[in-house]
Amino acid sequence: MKRVITGNQAVAYGVILSRVDVISAYPITPQTTIVEELSELIASGRLKTKFLKVESEHSAMAALIGASTGGVRTFTATSSHGLAYMHEMLHWASGARLPIVLVNVNRALGAPWNIWGDQSDSLSQRDTGWIQLYCENNQEVLDTILQAYLIAETVRLPVMVVLDAFVLSHTSEPVEVPSMEEVDSFLPPFCPDYPIDTQEPRAYSVITTPEYFLEFRYKVQKAMEEVPEVSRKVDDEFRSRFGRGYGAIERYGKEEAEVVLVTSGTVTSTSRMVIRKLNEEGWSVAGLKIKRFRPFPSEEIYGAIKGAKKLAVIDRNLSAGVGGIFAQELRAALYPKEERLPVFGFVSGLGGRDITPELIEEAIRYTYQHPRPEEEILWLGLKK
Amino acid sequence: MPKQFTFKSVSEMPMISVSLGDMEWNKTGAWRTQRPFYEDKTPPCSAACPAGNDIVAFIQKIAQEDFEGAWNVIKEENPFPGVCGRVCFYPCESRCNRGSFDEPIAIHALERFVADFASRLNKKTAKAREKRKERVAIIGSGPAGMSCAFHLARLYYDVTVFESFSLAGGMLRMGIPSYRLPRNVLDRELSNIEALGVEIRTGVSLGEDLRLEDLKDYQAVFIATGAHRSRGLHIPGEKEKGVLSGLDLLKKINLSKRGKLGDKIAVIGGGNTAIDVARSVIRLGKKANILYRRSREEMPAFEDEILEALEEGVKIRYLVNPIRVGQKDGLKRLECLRMELSEKDESGRRRPVPIPNSNLFIDADHVIIAAGEEIEASFLPEGLEKKEGIVLTQRDGSTGIKGIFAGGDLTSNQRTVAHAIGSGKKAAMAIDAFLKGTDAEEVIIQNLIGEGPSLSIFGYLHPGERLRNPHVVTFEELNMDYFEPAKRQGESKSAVKERIKGFKEVSSTLSEGVALDEAERCFSCGTCNECENCYVFCPDGSILKREELFPHQVDYDYCKGCGICFTECPRGAISLKGEAK
Amino acid sequence: MKKIQIPLEENLGHGHLACAGCGAAVAMRLTLKALGEKTIMVFPASCWSIVPGSWPYSSFRITAIHAGFVTAGATASGVRAALDVRGDHDTLVAVWAGDGGTFDIGLQALSGAAERNENFLYICNDNEGYMNTGTQRSSATPLLAWTTTTPVMQPKENPKKDIMAIMADHQIPYAATATIAYPEDLIRKLEKAKGIRGTRFIHLFSPCPPGWKMASEMSVKISRLAVRSRIFPLYEIENGRNYTIQEEHRVVPVKEYLKLQGRFSHLTEKDIETTQRNVDDTWERLQRRARCFI
Repeated sequence: MKRVITGNQAVAYGVILSRVDVISAYPITPQTTIVEELSELIASGRLKTKFLKVESEHSAMAALIGASTGGVRTFTATSSHGLAYMHEMLHWASGARLPIVLVNVNRALGAPWNIWGDQSDSLSQRDTGWIQLYCENNQEVLDTILQAYLIAETVRLPVMVVLDAFVLSHTSEPVEVPSMEEVDSFLPPFCPDYPIDTQEPRAYSVITTPEYFLEFRYKVQKAMEEVPEVSRKVDDEFRSRFGRGYGAIERYGKEEAEVVLVTSGTVTSTSRMVIRKLNEEGWSVAGLKIKRFRPFPSEEIYGAIKGAKKLAVIDRNLSAGVGGIFAQELRAALYPKEERLPVFGFVSGLGGRDITPELIEEAIRYTYQHPRPEEEILWLGLKK
Repeated sequence: MPKQFTFKSVSEMPMISVSLGDMEWNKTGAWRTQRPFYEDKTPPCSAACPAGNDIVAFIQKIAQEDFEGAWNVIKEENPFPGVCGRVCFYPCESRCNRGSFDEPIAIHALERFVADFASRLNKKTAKAREKRKERVAIIGSGPAGMSCAFHLARLYYDVTVFESFSLAGGMLRMGIPSYRLPRNVLDRELSNIEALGVEIRTGVSLGEDLRLEDLKDYQAVFIATGAHRSRGLHIPGEKEKGVLSGLDLLKKINLSKRGKLGDKIAVIGGGNTAIDVARSVIRLGKKANILYRRSREEMPAFEDEILEALEEGVKIRYLVNPIRVGQKDGLKRLECLRMELSEKDESGRRRPVPIPNSNLFIDADHVIIAAGEEIEASFLPEGLEKKEGIVLTQRDGSTGIKGIFAGGDLTSNQRTVAHAIGSGKKAAMAIDAFLKGTDAEEVIIQNLIGEGPSLSIFGYLHPGERLRNPHVVTFEELNMDYFEPAKRQGESKSAVKERIKGFKEVSSTLSEGVALDEAERCFSCGTCNECENCYVFCPDGSILKREELFPHQVDYDYCKGCGICFTECPRGAISLKGEAK
Repeated sequence: MKKIQIPLEENLGHGHLACAGCGAAVAMRLTLKALGEKTIMVFPASCWSIVPGSWPYSSFRITAIHAGFVTAGATASGVRAALDVRGDHDTLVAVWAGDGGTFDIGLQALSGAAERNENFLYICNDNEGYMNTGTQRSSATPLLAWTTTTPVMQPKENPKKDIMAIMADHQIPYAATATIAYPEDLIRKLEKAKGIRGTRFIHLFSPCPPGWKMASEMSVKISRLAVRSRIFPLYEIENGRNYTIQEEHRVVPVKEYLKLQGRFSHLTEKDIETTQRNVDDTWERLQRRARCFI
C-alpha cells in the first residue's frame, strides 16, 4: 500500500513489519520521530514489542545485546553523539555475533554543536564490525530494514542502516509499504545459534586469551566476506517478491564514461539529475551510488568503473588528517589493481550544508579539467 | 578425568566465546602454602578428669538426643557415671572453657543424667564372654578395684575381686551417705560390672581368709584396699567413750544401723567426711557443730557440700583446734585453742598457729573425729614400699613385687572417687601390658589425655579409631563468634525442710529438656561436632562431607589453603600446617 | 547444636581463579546456591571476568552473560525483556556487579533501570575498590583507606558513597545489605528478593585479602566485625520507606575492625577516633532515615 511518509516513519514501518521483539532507544534529533512513532504503535497495543526507554544510547545498545543474547529480534535507532556514545558496545555486538539492526540518521558530531546531516557519525564506526547500508530515499530505507534482518541473521553480524538527517528523516515521500503477510514470507523468525537454556547452563562472552582471540576475529572477518554473496541473494529474493532491488552499488549515466562520480545517500539523487544534464550537454559522466559501505564492495566497483579514466568522490564526511572516507576506502580498494585511476576526493555538505547541483557540477568539471587532483582534499563550497 | 579442550583449528571452534566446559581440571590445590586438616584435640575437661571420661563425646551425643549413645561413650572409660555424676568434685567444670565465656557446663549433672537414663533401659545382661586363661585378683571392691575389674573384664581376663566387708563398694558404700549417693544407684553400677563376668567374693579379708600364698594362683594382683582408718588427733581423752571415728560412724549410718547418739554432736575436721558426718547427724535429728582449725577458704571439703551443710543447719566454727577431750556433767568437754593463719605449708594452705591463752570449751554429747584417713598396711605383702602414709608404686601402678600392682587411696594422697576410678583403669592397662609382655610405661604414655595424668582406654582398645592431638585446647583457640551467652542450668535441689527429714537424695536428675539445653552450651573444644561452618564458608567448595574418620574431608585437589575453615571452626578442631614442597 | 543451614546444591564449580580466602568467592558460592539453576546472571567487568576461568571454560553452573563494564543495569533489562517477550516470566534475571560497576561507572545504567523498576535482582559485590584492575579507589572505598590511587601519604579523602540510600530513593521494592559472615541472612534476603517483582538490590560486603592487606583466613571474621562495629550494618528497605534494621547486640569499637587490615595501618589514633565518630554519625543517620516515613 502506497503511503506518503517521512524517512523516520518508513523506519517505523520497517521495524513493525520485521516483527521486532525488543526495542531500546534514547531520543536524539533527528531520530526522535522514530521512537515516538514506535511508542505510539506499541502503546496502542498493535505490537507486542517491548520498548525499553533507557537512559542513554550506551545502555540502549547494551540492552539489545542482552535481549539478542536472550534470543529475540532487536532494534535501535540513533544519530551522531548517540551513536558515538554507544561506540564500545557496537564492538561488543559484532564480537558477540548478534544480529542487531540499528538505524542511524546521519548527523554531524560536535564540537561545534550541529544537528544537521553529515556522514561522519556512521563512518566513524566503520571499524566496529557492523555491516553498513546507506539509503537514498525513504522507500529504500524501509526496504533496507527488511533486508537487513535477513542479512544479519544469516551471517550473524549486526547491520547499520543509514539515512540522511532531515532530508530523508523528516521529508515525506511516497513509499510502497508491503503487507505483514508479504514480509512474513520473506523474513523468517529469528533462530539464535546459542539459545539460552537454563537447564544446560553456559557462560556467554567468556574472557578469551591470546590463545584463541585471533580465531574469533578471523571468524568475524569470514562472516564479513560472506556478506556480498548473502546480500546479493537477499536482494534478488527481495526483488522477486517486491519488485524492488538495490544491489551493493548502482551505476547509472553514460555507458562508457570518462568520469565516474561516486556518491552515497541523498546526494546521489541530486547527482542523477546533474549527470543527466551534463551528459545531455555532451559530457561523458557516469554515477556510482554506493549503498553498501561495509564490507566495502570492491569487486562490484571494479566491474562498474571499467573504461573510466577518473573517479570523483563526494564525501559528506571528514576524517581529519585523511579527508573523505569514501575516497580513502576507494583508493585502498583500487590499490591492488594494475590501473590505479586517479581519485578526486571532494569534501562537502558537512553539518548539513546543502550539496547543490551547482556544487556537484563544479566537482565534475574540476575532475574533467584536471589530470590529477591538485590537492589531497578538494573542498566544495568552502567560504574561502 | 575433568575435561580439557585444545583447539588446533579455527574450524573446530564455536562462533562465539560461549563456555564449553568447567574448570574442574584446574587443581588449585597446587597453590597452597599451608594446608588445613581435621584434627581433634584434647578438651580441657577430659584432661582434668581423673577418671579419664571422654566428656565432649558424651555431651555431643546428648546434644544429638542420642542418650544411649552417650551412655556407650561413658562406659568406654568409666563404669561409674551414676556415682561420679553425684559425688565427684568435678574438676572438669573448673577447667571448662565455657567458664571463660559465661558459666561452665554442668558436666557432672549431664553425666548423672545419662547414667539415670541408662538405668531405665531394659538392657539384657551381657553375654558371658570367653575368657583368657590369665586370672587376676583384685583386693578391694571400692571404686579403684571395681574400675580395674571392669576394664580387665573387657580385656577378657578372668577377674576375681576380694572384698573384706559383706557388701561391695568400699568407700562408696561405707563412707558416702545415701543422700549423696543412693544405694540403688551404687548397687546397679556394681552389678553392671559383675554382669561382665567379674566374680566378687565378699567377706574375704586379705591376710585372714585369703593368704598371700593363695595370690600365687593369679597371674597378677591389684591391691586397692583404700584408706579406711581414721587419723587420730593425738590429744588426751581421744580414746575415751563418747569419742567416735567419723568413718566408723558413717559406716554404721550408711548401713542403716542406728546407734545411740546424743543431741549435740561436735565434729572435728574440715574435709568431706566431716561434712558427711555432720549432715548425716542432722538427718538423725541431732545438732551438728563442725570445728575446723583453719578458715573457710582452706576447708578441703567440696564447696557445694559446705553450702548445703550450712543450709541444713550445720554450724561451722573456724580457726578452732581441740587440745583435750574432757568430761563435764555427763557431756564431753572439748578444750580448744583459737588459731590464726600464718604462712602457707606444703599443701599450699596457710598454716594454723595457736593463739596462746585463747582456750575455750565446747560441750557435746559425742565427739566425732573426722580429721583424715589413713591406710591400713598390716595385711599387705612384705616388700611393698611405704612412705608418708601411702604405698609407693611406679607410674604404671607396679610395686616392688613382680605381678603385684596397687592403686586408689592406698597409693595416693589425692583421695577422690574419680582418682580412684582412674587409678583402677591405669592398673588394668598396665596389667594387660604386663601379662602380654609389652611395655606398660609405653602404653601409659601413648594413652595419656593431654599431658596426663589421666588416661583413656578407648585408644588402647580401638587403635586408630579416635585419634586426638594431646594439645589441650585453650579458650583463646576457640571462636566465640558462634556462641551466645546462655545461663547454665543445673540440678534442682529439694527444700531444706524436706532434705533433713531423711536420707533421700538431695538433688534431682536433670530433665531431658534441660539436659539438651545444657549440652547445647558445650563448646565441644577440639572436637568436630559437624556444625559445618567449614563447609559453609569455604570459598572453593573444598570441604566435603564424608563418613570417614571425621565427618568432613578437605578436598586437597582444590583447597587453596586460605585458612578460613581454621578460623571459623568454633572449636579448634581444624589445624593448619605448612605445605610440604 | 545450631547448624548454619544453606541449600546443598553447588552452583559454583572448583578450580576457579579467586585468590585464596576471597570473600567474593564465599559470597558467590552462597548466592548461587540461593538463586538456583533457573537464573540468568549478567555480570559486568569485575574480578569475576577472570575468576571463573577463560574460554572455553567457566566455573559457573548457571547461565551467565558477561557484559560491558558500564552496562549491567541495561544488559539485564534487555535480557528480561527478551524473556518476557518469549513468555518466560519465571526465569530469574540477576546481576552480579562489583562496586566499580555499581557505584561508579555502572551507576547511570543502574539508576535508569531502577527508575523503570526493571524486573531483576541486582547484587553489588562490594570489596571497596577496583580490585580486578589492581586495587584502585572507587567511591565505595572508605574514608582514609589506602589504595593504589590513594596512597598512604594521601589516603581516600571522601567518605563511602551511600548506595543503599541512592537505591532506596528510587523507591524500588526491595533493597538490603548482606555479608558473608551471616550466610543464612544473605540467603534469606536473596530468597525473599526472588519472590518480589521489580528492581531488587542487594549490597553484599565481601572482604578482599590482597586489596585490604589482610590475612586470607580472616575474610569471614572481618566481615562479621564490619557488622558488629556498625561499619556495615545489616538492614532492609522496602519500597524506599520501610526500614528493618537488624540490631547487633555485641557491638565492638571500629578499632577492632580496622586493626586487622593493612590498608588502615597508617591510621593514627586521631584518625581512628574520626572514623569512630563517622561510623556513629552514619548509624545515627540511618536510624533517622528509618524513622522518616513512620
